[in-house]
Amino acid sequence: MTALPAQSAPAPRRSPAPKPERRLRPAPEPGGRAKPRLAYAIIALGGVAVIVVVQLLLSIAVAQGAYEIDSYQVRQAKLAREEQKLSEDLDRVESPQFLAANAEALGMVPNANPVYLRLSDGAVLGEPTAATGGAAASGPLVPNALISGVPLVTEQAQVQTPNGGTPGEASVAAPDAPPVAPPPTDGLPTPATH
Amino acid sequence: MNRTSRHPMRRILLAAVVLVALVGVFVVRLVDLQVVRAAELSEEAEGRRSTSVTVYGARGDIVDANGIVLADSVMRYDIAVSPKNASAGPIVRQQPDPDDPAKTVRVDVPLEQSAAELGAVLGLTGEQVKGIIDGKLAENPESDFAYVAKLVDTATYEQVKALDIPWVVPWEHPSRRYPNGAVAGNLLGFVDPDGNAVAGLEYSEDECLAGEDGELSYLHSLEDWVQIPGTEVIHKQARDGGTLRLTIDSDLQWMVQRIAEAQVQAVGADWATVTVMEAKTGRLLAVADVPTVDPNDPAATPEGDRGSRSFTAPFEPGSTFKAITAASVIDAGRADALSQVVAPYRYLPANGADVNDSFFHEDTQYTLTGVLIDSSNTGMSLFGERLSDQERYDDMLAFGLGERTEVGFPGEEPGDLHGGPDEWDNQTKYATMFGQGLTTTAVQIASAYQTLANGGVRMPVRLVDGCTDADGEAAAPQSEGTRVISENAADQTSQMLERVYLEGWLADKWEIPGYRVAAKTGTAQVPDGNGGYLRGYLVSVSGFAPADDPRFIVSVSIMNPVKMNSSAASAPVFQQVMSQVLKKYRTVPSGAPAPELPATW
Repeated sequence: MTALPAQSAPAPRRSPAPKPERRLRPAPEPGGRAKPRLAYAIIALGGVAVIVVVQLLLSIAVAQGAYEIDSYQVRQAKLAREEQKLSEDLDRVESPQFLAANAEALGMVPNANPVYLRLSDGAVLGEPTAATGGAAASGPLVPNALISGVPLVTEQAQVQTPNGGTPGEASVAAPDAPPVAPPPTDGLPTPATH
Repeated sequence: MNRTSRHPMRRILLAAVVLVALVGVFVVRLVDLQVVRAAELSEEAEGRRSTSVTVYGARGDIVDANGIVLADSVMRYDIAVSPKNASAGPIVRQQPDPDDPAKTVRVDVPLEQSAAELGAVLGLTGEQVKGIIDGKLAENPESDFAYVAKLVDTATYEQVKALDIPWVVPWEHPSRRYPNGAVAGNLLGFVDPDGNAVAGLEYSEDECLAGEDGELSYLHSLEDWVQIPGTEVIHKQARDGGTLRLTIDSDLQWMVQRIAEAQVQAVGADWATVTVMEAKTGRLLAVADVPTVDPNDPAATPEGDRGSRSFTAPFEPGSTFKAITAASVIDAGRADALSQVVAPYRYLPANGADVNDSFFHEDTQYTLTGVLIDSSNTGMSLFGERLSDQERYDDMLAFGLGERTEVGFPGEEPGDLHGGPDEWDNQTKYATMFGQGLTTTAVQIASAYQTLANGGVRMPVRLVDGCTDADGEAAAPQSEGTRVISENAADQTSQMLERVYLEGWLADKWEIPGYRVAAKTGTAQVPDGNGGYLRGYLVSVSGFAPADDPRFIVSVSIMNPVKMNSSAASAPVFQQVMSQVLKKYRTVPSGAPAPELPATW
């Protein structure tokens, strides 16, 4: 709001003001124009040259990086293929068919009658019943095209120990052989060492 | 000179006009190039200079309730050759010089040898490979493309690459793999070689599973095809499919399939289905259909056996249905577990129907419990007629019969309640009381027993727990149960079924020591499609355990067991499956014995 009076106020005052008299004066002589210094030119040209060189080096580095990336990508693809191959193998041998076939090859029989031991009071829940019957070969019952040709653990043992006999047969044939201790599990209390 | 000097303005004007016109032409051309056709032209330029790559969006995994992978995506390779280049002449290979191991010599490898090398890796003979090449060349001498093998695995691919034959090109081909083979193969379905889902959950849940391929392009160096930095353009972002989580437990599923398959072979049956369901949630823990397809190799299974009969093959349920009728009668207050009838061997109701029992007996003073234990059709008819047809029909609908379950499996059948009470003829009115004259699927029967086991509240049947994609978890909607019958009616029915388990003729065949079990057998006649019945039977057992606090439903159906044509064929399957389920889920054995209920009076 204050701008309006400020602009309008000086206008009437300016018109009666006397015009300053115009006079011609000689322009001052340029006092001996200095020669351009060589240093400036060198700095300017040098700067350009440095920029060009840096640019070049950078692009070389980037191009070099591209090759490096490419070689890593090739390597990554190769490792990814390797990973896929291994995980396929793992999935295959993890399948229930393969586990069951191995368990049966080792002479295991499923027991359909569960019995529970209650740890708090030692009560036996359920009626203990022996597993009946030899395990039928369950392999063909639930087919899996992926595990055909994969050797069972017993066959692998034979392959790995060609001279040392077969552990699978030995434990069946010689009952006095030391039984393999089952691995400790978390479920049952084991004697403490103290 | 004179003329122009006389009209200087005209000359200037002419020059200006020409200038403006010229500039106008340039401007129009510029706008045309830079604005109107800019996209098209830059695309064309890009296409000439750059190479475009497909980025595969992987199809999502299918996992079981514990996260075990049942179906996943893998990269396979198609091996193609260029017949034109192959026949162009021997290829040159660097080999170590026999005289000086430090040096290499150039050796010419003729087509015969390289074809034999390629064939050995792919499981073909050299002649076969050469035959493919020659065959293509005979069709078209300029032929540049022919497949020699499809969908080879990574190991083979690497061997092919190691051969380094210039006219052999491997192409990526995303494929599907089922690590557990036939475990749940009936449910999973499969995809065709082009990656399109054609059956099972792969088909019905395609929306969750399907990924989307993306596309990007980049400029590359001339010689070695190295990508030039900063030139990558993503035309379309690839999107991976979601992970589908099922309610199925793959270990249990395997065990159930194994038991069912062994029994089908032992009794010479056509097929069998076994359904395991959680009593409190309606989740399906295992759905076995024998024969089962191995989705890794669907062609090995006859086409009719590649689906899930539990959903797609309705049958007349037979006597397992009596439990449902009994529950309806009790719920309506027209009887209880100890209500009494005198059941004859042959019952001729007033409407002209004719009901027989499957075994001869004198008039017997049955309680409702006794009717179920001896599975008397006449006794059931005497109780069933205490309800109107409409009342029974309404209850059937409430139990989930006559319409597809919430699963929505591909090809799922709703079953057929023979229209409704208005369309039932006199015989059907009585037949529907003991499970003939109407059809249900195995899953529907399991769901009806789930209702009985869950205090009369039916839970929606579930096969899928949810779908997890890049946006996060999209869980299946929270399922609300619906009350079908009163808790009292459900409990009484459950107690009667316990007496059936303890006193029925198969009591020693399906005993599970330590647990209270409620179960009912069925030996149903199978319609031949022309109004009559076939000679074989569909034998079944449905039940749940532990009966004092039901947790699991097991329903077994076996079609036409030639060597043992009675429910004795299905009882061992029920026993083994139920034992396995109780063991697997660490179910504490029952304490108190089942309540006594007299069968006769």
